[in-house]
Amino acid sequence: MRTANRVASLLLAAALLAGGALLAVQALLVTLDQRAPLLARTGWYDALTGTRWSDPGVRAVAGGAVLLGLAVLAAQLRRWTPVRLSIDERDGWHLHRRCVERRLADAAATVPGVRQARVRVRRRGDQWRPRIRATGDPAARAEVEFAVRQELHRLAAPRTGRIEIRLLPQGRPA
Amino acid sequence: MSDAAHRLLWTIVALLLVVGGVAALVVSFGLPSGADPGAPLLGAGLLDAWRLAAPWSTLAAAVAGVLVALAGQRLLARELRRPDQELRGTLSRPGRRPGRTRLATDVLAHALERDLTGNPGVRRARVVLTGAPPRPDVWIRVDLTADARTAGVREHVHAAVRRFATTAGCQPAHLDVTARIEPGRP
Repeated sequence: MRTANRVASLLLAAALLAGGALLAVQALLVTLDQRAPLLARTGWYDALTGTRWSDPGVRAVAGGAVLLGLAVLAAQLRRWTPVRLSIDERDGWHLHRRCVERRLADAAATVPGVRQARVRVRRRGDQWRPRIRATGDPAARAEVEFAVRQELHRLAAPRTGRIEIRLLPQGRPA
Repeated sequence: MSDAAHRLLWTIVALLLVVGGVAALVVSFGLPSGADPGAPLLGAGLLDAWRLAAPWSTLAAAVAGVLVALAGQRLLARELRRPDQELRGTLSRPGRRPGRTRLATDVLAHALERDLTGNPGVRRARVVLTGAPPRPDVWIRVDLTADARTAGVREHVHAAVRRFATTAGCQPAHLDVTARIEPGRP
């Protein structure tokens, strides 16, 4: 969502800049009695004066705007996954979540036969709950758990709860 | 721009979309008394009113365009700015007389950054100080090398902060450290 927000804001900024500059230039051309193709009476004016509020197209656009607005509102107001994982509340030490997940994925992938590991770490109280998805022999589960716990120890992670590991045999998507 | 600023911006945009859409639907169904669903979106007299008010109407449109373009330019500049350039720590305290003393913290922050990067496990460090001088809030971000041991770096960071508190004479009121670790096979 953070990336989507940034991309959408960039697009909004570019649209405001281009649209505002275009409007200013066109309005100045009209003021100076020059030809302004966009502000001159063209199709858009006829379309807006010829369309009525009760037209199905207007209702569809209005309904679409309401639905889009509600979807964006829900996306912005729901709780987002924090960027950081707290190690110790008392000394204010945090680890960047994506870095931790990447390190744990790398650790899981060191087990022979395990590939394409993906890790998500959630917090439950003061515990971390890693969830690992990878391609490999399901019999390697214990080795994967050992490797991940070693890495968590190396990262000085707080108490770790149950590690959820899902190993799918090669040929099936992880 | 921060995540919170983005959320605020898009919450406002979403609210505008919902309010505008609902208003258009309400008019379209003729719900408020006096609303005419058969009326055109733009009254036919608009062009006459526009011409009647010229050149002020066109000048107003030009000014509105400039303001919108400026808003877009400011937003674009904030989006394209690197996050590091946004964070400039300032210590601030009210004076005895009306007014407030503000102090740029670059020198103090750079001193702590140099101390932090003294550990081979710390590749980069960024420090921001805010709040009041005797007990500032200290915000630290450290980039750790792939082979760094987090527990050791934690000790080093806290020792550096203790040294900073002793030499600068200000004890942190709040310490916030974020560590990013480089990827690499353990």
